[in-house]
Amino acid sequence: MKPVMTLTMDVRLLRIDSRLLHGQVTTSWTKATKVDRILVVSDDVAKDNLRRTLIMQAAPPGVKANVLTISKMLRIYYDSRFDFINAMILVENPVDAIRLISGGIKVPSVNIGSISFDTTRKMVTDTVAVNHDDVNIFVWMHRRGIVLDYRKVPSDAKKDFWKCLCEKEFVHDTSQKLK
Amino acid sequence: MTRKDKIFEYVKQNASIESEGYTTTEISEALGIIRNNVSKELNVLVREGKLQKIDGRPVRYLLAEREMQSRNKVGEYSQRKSQITGFTNARLTESSNDDYEKDIPQDVFENFIGKNDSLKNQVEQAKAAILYPPQGLNVLITGPTGSGKTYFANAMYRFAMNTGVIKKQKFTTFNCADYAHNPQLLMSHLFGYAKGAFTGATEDHDGLIQEADGGMLFLDEVHRLPPEGQEMIFYFMDHGTYNRLGETAKTHHADVRLVCATTEDPESSLLQTFVRRIPIMIKMPSFSQRSAREQLQLLRQLLGIEANRTDKDIKLSDDVVKALLGSVTFGNVGQLKSNIQLVCAQAFLNSMQDENEMEIEFDSLPQNIKDGIPRLANNRTELSKLSRLLEPMMVVHPNDASKIQSESDSYELPYNLYEIIGSKASLLKEEGLDQPAINNFILTDINLHLKSFYREAKVDQKETNLNEIVDQSTIDLTKKIKERLQNDYAYNTGDNFIYAMSLHISSFIKRIRSGKPMRTVSGDIVTMVKDYPEDLRLAEQVKKMIEQYYKFIVPESEVYYLAVLLVSLNSVPKSGSVGVVVAAHGNSTAASMVQVVNKLLGAENLASFDMSLEMSPKIALKGIIEKVKEVDQGNGVLLLVDMGSLSTFSEQITNKTDIPVKTIDMVTTAMVLEAARKTSLIDSDLKTVYSELRDFNGYYSHKDEEHSSSQNDVDKRRAIIAICSTGEGTARKIKQIIDNILVDQLIDDVVVVPISVVGMDGRIEELEQNYRIIAATGVVNPDIGVPFISLDELFKGGGNEFIQLLEDSDRYYELNPGQPAEESLSMSEQTACQYLEQCYTFINPKKIIGILQNYCDLIERDSKKELGQSKRMGLIMHLAGAIERALLQTPISATESELIEIRTNKMFSSVQKANQMLEERLNVKFADSETYYIIKLIDTENQD
Repeated sequence: MKPVMTLTMDVRLLRIDSRLLHGQVTTSWTKATKVDRILVVSDDVAKDNLRRTLIMQAAPPGVKANVLTISKMLRIYYDSRFDFINAMILVENPVDAIRLISGGIKVPSVNIGSISFDTTRKMVTDTVAVNHDDVNIFVWMHRRGIVLDYRKVPSDAKKDFWKCLCEKEFVHDTSQKLK
Repeated sequence: MTRKDKIFEYVKQNASIESEGYTTTEISEALGIIRNNVSKELNVLVREGKLQKIDGRPVRYLLAEREMQSRNKVGEYSQRKSQITGFTNARLTESSNDDYEKDIPQDVFENFIGKNDSLKNQVEQAKAAILYPPQGLNVLITGPTGSGKTYFANAMYRFAMNTGVIKKQKFTTFNCADYAHNPQLLMSHLFGYAKGAFTGATEDHDGLIQEADGGMLFLDEVHRLPPEGQEMIFYFMDHGTYNRLGETAKTHHADVRLVCATTEDPESSLLQTFVRRIPIMIKMPSFSQRSAREQLQLLRQLLGIEANRTDKDIKLSDDVVKALLGSVTFGNVGQLKSNIQLVCAQAFLNSMQDENEMEIEFDSLPQNIKDGIPRLANNRTELSKLSRLLEPMMVVHPNDASKIQSESDSYELPYNLYEIIGSKASLLKEEGLDQPAINNFILTDINLHLKSFYREAKVDQKETNLNEIVDQSTIDLTKKIKERLQNDYAYNTGDNFIYAMSLHISSFIKRIRSGKPMRTVSGDIVTMVKDYPEDLRLAEQVKKMIEQYYKFIVPESEVYYLAVLLVSLNSVPKSGSVGVVVAAHGNSTAASMVQVVNKLLGAENLASFDMSLEMSPKIALKGIIEKVKEVDQGNGVLLLVDMGSLSTFSEQITNKTDIPVKTIDMVTTAMVLEAARKTSLIDSDLKTVYSELRDFNGYYSHKDEEHSSSQNDVDKRRAIIAICSTGEGTARKIKQIIDNILVDQLIDDVVVVPISVVGMDGRIEELEQNYRIIAATGVVNPDIGVPFISLDELFKGGGNEFIQLLEDSDRYYELNPGQPAEESLSMSEQTACQYLEQCYTFINPKKIIGILQNYCDLIERDSKKELGQSKRMGLIMHLAGAIERALLQTPISATESELIEIRTNKMFSSVQKANQMLEERLNVKFADSETYYIIKLIDTENQD
């Protein structure tokens, strides 16, 4: 019988980064988490041949990158044929992240690298901007005990993104957690 | 009498005591020789001491002192002595010397094989790079292993020497692979080091760059240069300065012409930075890309070298020539050279008693060279070209070889092989060995020496791959079987044979060893094999060989399976990829599309044909046929054309050339790219490529019925079929391999179904009920219009790419489940609007487009002819132009006869009606000539 730990593939990092897979940042995370596979999960990119190709080529040497739709990501997550994979998942925004988590992908924390600014969003830190939906999503994650880890690169000091949100008064109650 | 002699005689005969000597002009006029030449010859004569120069303007020439003496004129002559300076004016002499050197054409490329053909461009590029003022240009030579990069670089160096642009007497070469594992050592070699840079650096040391100052530096395998080295080389290229190891400031300067060479694809990321900095890229063609004539010339030249070495005539029959040429695969000219050395060494050994000649006999050739003949036979056009050039017996004499020889040729043996053979043979003879034993002994030796070349090029890679799955002993047995079938039974075994047969045997053995019951023979198989008595007989032989080898009894039933395998392997003709010809109107439309694609993919099966608008279809057809012949590799040709009228050609071409041709119109660069990808990566047939590309085309414009049926298939599970003789042995192995690839690429919705050759067609039909078959692989191509990958491609590691490609081409099925026709129509309407807006000033596209659609509708109704989407758009564009012309009253012209001619056209009345409608609605008046052009437009487009 297989040990319980390997019932699904090993997702070692779930990172929100609007730029998805890019250069040195990704390379440093790949090294730090020792993954052999980068899964870029985005319905938009999966449809866009150009971006798909660009992203797959941007993978650091020795690591393979694939671009998947959300539904395919969830499908292969539960498919025992892919259990051997040690993966890092990159998503563009909190919405995609919560779709994966609510789909059953287990992660102890979510790494928040960057969320780009647009007219609906307000800046929280120098690289992260959030809108109303994003905040709700972070509240949802926080209440389920998922650590919101704000780091651009692994060597940055760990910073709790929840605290950032509190400091800027996007959210109020820091202690409240759902069972 | 040479020119020089004439001049000398003239001066001599007219020499008298009073004579002041002759000026160059005087001699020139007297003898009718061009002044420059006279001057040159006079200088030679002065140098030889036959004439003397007298200073002054103009310079005069006299007989030299000793010549005068021979004419007994000493006395009168001596008084002038003081004025005669003879050979002393160094500066003057030197400069005229230079002139003299330059006048002799010393173009090393003159004798280059292929200088007017396959290397024409390359030679011109090379010359340009060398002569480019002031310092020449850096050059990157690319090309496959053994294609002659080093040889070419050497020739460039000699050219530079002969033209005097460099003076350095040494051609500095460096192989970047030598120290690739030790960047520091490499850097110190290239750039030198300063005293104290590291332990043992007791004094300053110059590197190769300094050594090559004022000359040329050849960097071989430049892709192996480590990043540190690249940086410094780049800096050096840009600035001409560098620092030694252990120095900080880049204070050293050197003028070096860099020639780099690599086997890598210049498009690879590694080389990108290089390519940016190197203005001249020279691509050496592979051996197979060179014409039969050139291949033969190369062979002759290489044989000439051996003839010179042995100082014997070399005789060889046309079969040997064919075998030698055909035996060249990945290693190009270098491989040919090695093979020639091998067979010459052998021939030398066999003909030691003959002083004057040695014959290379076909029977004594090693098997891998004999194999060249069937390989050559696979390419009918090449073979026939070659046969025309060949004589039954070729003789190469010792002096045939051109003397050009590069010192740093890695294919050159570092010693005289023939001397070694000779001395070794006599030594062995003294020891009392008989001739066959001696031959055997030495042959092993020769083989060992020459093998090193093959080791370097990793020829065995394929096999080691197979090794992971099948025991070496089984592979050995299979090789024996292959040899036996080929030699004794003339059974044509392709590349696939080793894979298919060894996998088959291996699974059979495992079955026996594991004690599983034997396969039963179904009636189907027996019936099928009955049609192939020949293969059944061969299968009996193979069975016997297996029994002998493994020392156990192979059940009778296995013979049938073996026969099935032999039948299917034999029926796979080995041929090249599908050729692609792009034909389009315009001066360079087709050429530039092909150029783009060639640049992106490095495809070799593409050709382009540009036709100007004036060109008659007859000439166009002829030109296209030439191109089709050029790219045909026995697997048919895909013709991509831009407009309808060209699309009728395919049948005519097939009739005239017997080459299957399929045509797709409305060619775009993207389509050429797709065609090149499909034809180069997949071992697929014309039919498959054609049907896939038509779909690719259909994505944008028309959706035909065929396509909509395949849309229903989208819901079905995708499947790849793996075919072997039983459906259980090899096919299961293939399934494993592909499954692994699928998992690796995270593809979870494709199943691999192993099936048997027996009853294959029925089984495929059955599968199509539940699956959408997207590809096939195995011992035989089922020919069902899907991509196929052969076993050897799969084992060579082509599987990954193949699956990737499938996934890419399938992607749009999933994501774009066919847009309804209206939608795509409105889309092109939008583009039409945009286009109208850009191109025309006075009309409002949004308002007018509806009216123009009506116009098209009217034409369709009235003439009862469908215009079709693309023709509609073309007509709308044209009409917009016509309206604007009418508004501005700048009509286009048509001749009287054209206007009359058009009245008889069957479209005339429809167009007239439509025009009337348009004129009324917009209140404009069209010139009569417009009608002519509109009809012409509709008519040409209706031709197909």
